[in-house]
Amino acid sequence: MKNITISKKFEFSASHRYWRDEWCEEENRRYFGNSTGPYGHGHNYELHVTVLGNIDPKTGMIINLTELKKYVNDVLESFDHKFLNLDTPYFKDKQPTTENLALVLFDLIAKKLKTLQGIALYKLRLYEKRDLYVDVWQDKS
Amino acid sequence: MSLRTVLTRVYTFSAAHRLHSRHLDEGANRQVYDKCNNLYGHGHDYTLEVSVAGNPHPLTGFVLPLRDLDQAVHKILARLDYRYLDKEVEYFTSVISTGENIIGYLWDELQRQLPPNMLYHLKLWETNNNYFEIGKEL
Repeated sequence: MKNITISKKFEFSASHRYWRDEWCEEENRRYFGNSTGPYGHGHNYELHVTVLGNIDPKTGMIINLTELKKYVNDVLESFDHKFLNLDTPYFKDKQPTTENLALVLFDLIAKKLKTLQGIALYKLRLYEKRDLYVDVWQDKS
Repeated sequence: MSLRTVLTRVYTFSAAHRLHSRHLDEGANRQVYDKCNNLYGHGHDYTLEVSVAGNPHPLTGFVLPLRDLDQAVHKILARLDYRYLDKEVEYFTSVISTGENIIGYLWDELQRQLPPNMLYHLKLWETNNNYFEIGKEL
C-alpha cells in the first residue's frame, strides 16, 4: 500500500537572540549581525507537522486532526509568546536558530505522538519568515 | 536513524528570455515554444529556493551562516538579475534558456560557490504556476 501523510499548519510567536558568551560583543555582532540585540527580537513562526501512518478503516483517517492539534499545541504552548533563550530550557548551550528550534520541536512532538499507535512524526517544516525555513525528518539510512 | 536538517532560503531575480532553437526553423520554433518564442523576448520574476543540508554547527547553531549562503547565491544571481539571458549571459548564448536549463546552470554554479556536499536541492519558480526542481534525492 502507498504511504500517505497528513500535514497540519501551526503558528506561534516568539523572540530570540543569538549570542555566545565566549565571544566579545564585536565578534558576536560580526557573526550574528542584528540578531545579537541584548533584549532579543521576534518572529511569527509557522510550523508544518507531517504525520505518517495507516488509514484507520473505521474512520478513514490517519489521525484525527483535532487530536493532532491538541498534541502539537501542548508542545507549542511553552514556546508561544516566550523569549526562547530564557523562557525555555532548550537553548542554554546552543543557539535558538531555526535549525536548532526545528530539531527541538521534532524531538518533543515525536515523543508526544509516540503514545498513539501506528502514528509517526514524519517531517517538520519550520518557517522563521517567508523566505527562510528548515525541514527536519528521520533519515532512514 | 538520525535526523536530517535542511535549511532553505528563498531568493528572487527578474530576467528576460526567449525560447528559440537554432536547430529548428521559424515555423517549428513557433510551434514548439508558442508565445515563449516571441521575437523580442519576454520576462519573469523568478523565485529560487536554495536548500543546504548538514548538521547545525554546535557553536553557532547554523547549518551554514546565512551571510555565507546569501553571498554565494547573490554572486550567481547578480549575473542573471535584470538581464536578457540569451544575449547578456554568456552561458545562455548557446544554451536555450528554459527553466530546465536555468536550474541546471544554477546547480552547477552554486556547487562551485558553496562548501562541498552542502547544496541539497533547488526549486526554481518561473511563474506562480510552474516550477523546476533538481536535487540529491530526486
